[in-house]
Amino acid sequence: MASEIKIGLEIHCQLTYLKSKLFCPCYSDYRFKSPNSNICPICSGLPGTLPLLNQSALEHACLLSISLGCKIPNEIIFYRKNYFYPDLPKNFQLTQYNAYGITSIGIDGKLEYDTGTTKHARIRRTQLEEDPGRLVYENNSMDNSFYTLIDYNRAGVSLVEIVTEPDFIAPKDVRIFLNKITSIVEHLRICDTRLEGAVRCDANVSIGEGRRVEIKNIGSFKEVEKALSYEITRQKTMSAREIEIKAETRHWDEARKITKQARGKETEEDYRYFPEPDIPTIVLDNSFLLALERNMPELPDQRRRRFITNYELGDHVSQVLIDNKELSDFFESAIAIYPAPKAIANWIVSDLIKFINANNHYQSERNDEGSTSISGLRIEAKHIAELAKLVDQDIISRTTAKGLINQMIKTGEMPSHLVQKTNASKIDDQNIILDAIETVFKDERSAVNDARQNSKATNFLLGKIMHLTKGKADPKIALDLINKKLIDST
Amino acid sequence: MVSRDEIKHLGWLSRLELTEEEISKYTLQIEEIIGYLDKLDSISLSEIEPVRSRKNISELRKDRIEPFKGDPLEGSKNRKDGFIKGPRLS
Amino acid sequence: MVNLCSLTAEQIVKGIINEEFSAEEYISQILERIEKIDDKVNAFVIVDNSGALEKARLIDKKVRNGEDEKDIGSLAGVAVGVKDNICTRGLRTTCASKMLQDYVPPYDATVVRKLKDDGAIVVGKLNLDEFAMGSTTEFSMYGSTHNPWNTTFVPGGSSGGSGASVAASECAISLGSDTGGSVRCPASFCSVVGLKPTYGHVSRFGLISYANSLEQVGPMGKTVSDVVMVMNSISGIDNNDQTTVDNDIPKYTIKRNGNIRVGLLKEMVEGAEPEISKCIYSAMDLFSSLDCECEEISMKSIEYALASYYTIAMAESSSNLARYDNIRYGFDLSSDSYEWNAYFAKVRSNFGEEVKRRIIAGSYVLSSGYYGKYYLKAQKVRTILKQEITSLFKTFDVLIGPTMPVLPFKFGEKIDDPLKMYMVDINTVIANLTGIPAISIPAGFSKKLPIGLQIMAGEFQEQMLFNAAFLFESTANIQRSPEL
Repeated sequence: MASEIKIGLEIHCQLTYLKSKLFCPCYSDYRFKSPNSNICPICSGLPGTLPLLNQSALEHACLLSISLGCKIPNEIIFYRKNYFYPDLPKNFQLTQYNAYGITSIGIDGKLEYDTGTTKHARIRRTQLEEDPGRLVYENNSMDNSFYTLIDYNRAGVSLVEIVTEPDFIAPKDVRIFLNKITSIVEHLRICDTRLEGAVRCDANVSIGEGRRVEIKNIGSFKEVEKALSYEITRQKTMSAREIEIKAETRHWDEARKITKQARGKETEEDYRYFPEPDIPTIVLDNSFLLALERNMPELPDQRRRRFITNYELGDHVSQVLIDNKELSDFFESAIAIYPAPKAIANWIVSDLIKFINANNHYQSERNDEGSTSISGLRIEAKHIAELAKLVDQDIISRTTAKGLINQMIKTGEMPSHLVQKTNASKIDDQNIILDAIETVFKDERSAVNDARQNSKATNFLLGKIMHLTKGKADPKIALDLINKKLIDST
Repeated sequence: MVSRDEIKHLGWLSRLELTEEEISKYTLQIEEIIGYLDKLDSISLSEIEPVRSRKNISELRKDRIEPFKGDPLEGSKNRKDGFIKGPRLS
Repeated sequence: MVNLCSLTAEQIVKGIINEEFSAEEYISQILERIEKIDDKVNAFVIVDNSGALEKARLIDKKVRNGEDEKDIGSLAGVAVGVKDNICTRGLRTTCASKMLQDYVPPYDATVVRKLKDDGAIVVGKLNLDEFAMGSTTEFSMYGSTHNPWNTTFVPGGSSGGSGASVAASECAISLGSDTGGSVRCPASFCSVVGLKPTYGHVSRFGLISYANSLEQVGPMGKTVSDVVMVMNSISGIDNNDQTTVDNDIPKYTIKRNGNIRVGLLKEMVEGAEPEISKCIYSAMDLFSSLDCECEEISMKSIEYALASYYTIAMAESSSNLARYDNIRYGFDLSSDSYEWNAYFAKVRSNFGEEVKRRIIAGSYVLSSGYYGKYYLKAQKVRTILKQEITSLFKTFDVLIGPTMPVLPFKFGEKIDDPLKMYMVDINTVIANLTGIPAISIPAGFSKKLPIGLQIMAGEFQEQMLFNAAFLFESTANIQRSPEL
């Protein structure tokens, strides 16, 4: 089709749960450390040093390959990608390459994702490679700097790269796919995606017969959809004006929300790949791969199915929970305290979520507990569990409960405590409700008349009573009594 | 045939600033050397696997932290606030 | 005053432990000798007078305190020179290159650490061809080293300083590195013993890479016994080098064992200068007279060895030397006012001619489209060589031949013709390509210039190698000290 959109992705994911770097025993956690304080002779590229491959990095990478349905070869080889750049301590990057034989950690995978219909994207390959160092410029501007400042703290940190086929047809689909990738790597406990720079994504786009354009420098998963939408519009506009679309690399400018031509000499660099002589071929025997598969953590799809089957949660609710591992962990901790899955799921998805989204900025410390709390909020699983219980036991109304959430978030106090403090318990004393009904019936005579024929008006009356009792009246009982009185007074 | 342009390009790829004289000299010499290496053309090796040493995944380095004691870049003259100061990028 | 400098390592350790002389006495003599004659030899790039004497005094203290021999060390007090491409903590390490002119490593190479742990004393760093690329040590920023047997002749390379210093009794033992013959060539030209161990037997951590799939650190000494002592110290699996292998080999020993099946490599002996061939045939006769079965054999695939070697070595070196951009280590040249590409290109123009040549040729063979034609093919040739040599080792215990096809030659003789220079490696590269161990031992002289006999054995069969080498050495009794 002439205007067929094709999008492919190159996703980089740091293996943040590793203790040490990919090829040396420095801390893999480099964030917020003073420049060049997290380095050793190996990762700073001193002469005479040799790479020391991290066993767990291979294991984590293989878990990812398995979860994406990839085939894992029995022999893994690392290659040198030779090019010069100030952030590259050895002026080559240790990575993987399949042109001379399949030796990267995964190929030919497939991942399904749900946009309303079930789609899938083919995974061309996954590979392990090292992160370069970071460059800092005076005045934060590469163009105006007289010099470049280099920090090797991040050099050598483990990255897994996921390369997809150009199987995406819309930016929105890409967003949904990336959410799924996020959830998978969280569930595998190989990447804490909330850490700054832990996940990055480059994309390539072509329309119809047009050439492929690469888009780099997209700062976060969130920006990918925007960058793609912009680029597609740009290409469509050019096409409409019959301007040729060049095959090129463009950079996403987050501030101005546009893609622009990549600066500098981006001629096809000849990387002169060859196998790294200092790292032997790694043999992954079948027993290793079987053991890995057997011990795989539960994947998002499996978990979602379990939520639907075991807890009878709806599609939408389970999807929302699954998309964010923290939420699903929180949910399961809460129902372990008070087994009311549907109710608790609803509390989380309908009410708690707006607080989480509002608070959704990058956290620096990893939430290793992962289960009983949600980073940034003072609320814990036990809070929601107790809230659900109180509502179930008719001690407070739903309306009251909704109000309590606000308080709980701020103070971290348990709902039962708050109830006591504010005397928020439901009024089920019929007399008090009857009193309120009397008052309302007196004030709203026309509504009362309408109510005798029209149930909508009854709800209006109920609303007035709830308002009068400051939400404390038990709506069920109140409605009962209203109806009784309506019948009685005919 | 190794050309002068090829040598220039390889000089760029390897970030080696070469004088015109050097380019001429190297073009001749490397042509000779590559000519000798072309000897490898005369044997058929399609069935052969290249030599590589092998290790099992269990023999690799365990994921433990061992911070380096000291500053690997201590001798560097180009430090600024801990960073390494390098040439400008553009 | 006994000339302690000409003692072997074995004799030195014994002498110090038995308090015949002190380590300080010995080291002082060594340092004096270096001071006196190194002008003529130019083996040393840097001498660590104070450090060496300090270590010597510590050894003496341990001896005086009656500490156990094991704690004083198997190489107690022995003066060792270290090739200047092997990292020594706190002691400048330059690879004889401007690109590392001011570099002081913050760590010791594993081999250096092991020697120090065993009581050996590093007296200084030894000259080499820049980044170990060369066969004569003429490509050094410090000028060439001179052959102690005749100072107008080359000492061999790239570990020329390592060979010459031992021959001239400036140190008892030395460490070199061997990528295509760089330990064995100077051993042959300087009439000392030099070993290239099995690939993976000695750690390369701290050896500044030239061609990492081919090279090993190799010990040099006046006797096979001394080389064995060093091997027992430096060999073994190392967590800092994932290409080292755990082989559970017991310590090497020296014993006179006959009954060795010896194969003489026809192509090598026929390709050598006539006096060399003659010498090697005599060597074979000597083995025959010692109850060894000797036979001349042919190895067809040798023809491709040199092309394979240079393809791989140049390719790997072009990548290994990429890190020298003067940003973190190098020499004094500010990057102010430079754009980064221009800066990199400018500083790297300070590599020597031979290095630049290999980097360019190496980039050529790795460049787009050529990988299959050159590098991959060269690696496959290694498989063929390995297969052929492995089958030879079913019939033979060792394979012998001349280490070098030529006698030591004069300075400048081959320096203008790169390919002519590369040809001298023709007998030595096969051991690097196949990973097997190979040793060069003094076999004789012609026109007062040394001839070396090369002995090769199967992978990790160093003991067999030492047996054959010691058998020859103890029988042939070749003179060992030039008059300097």
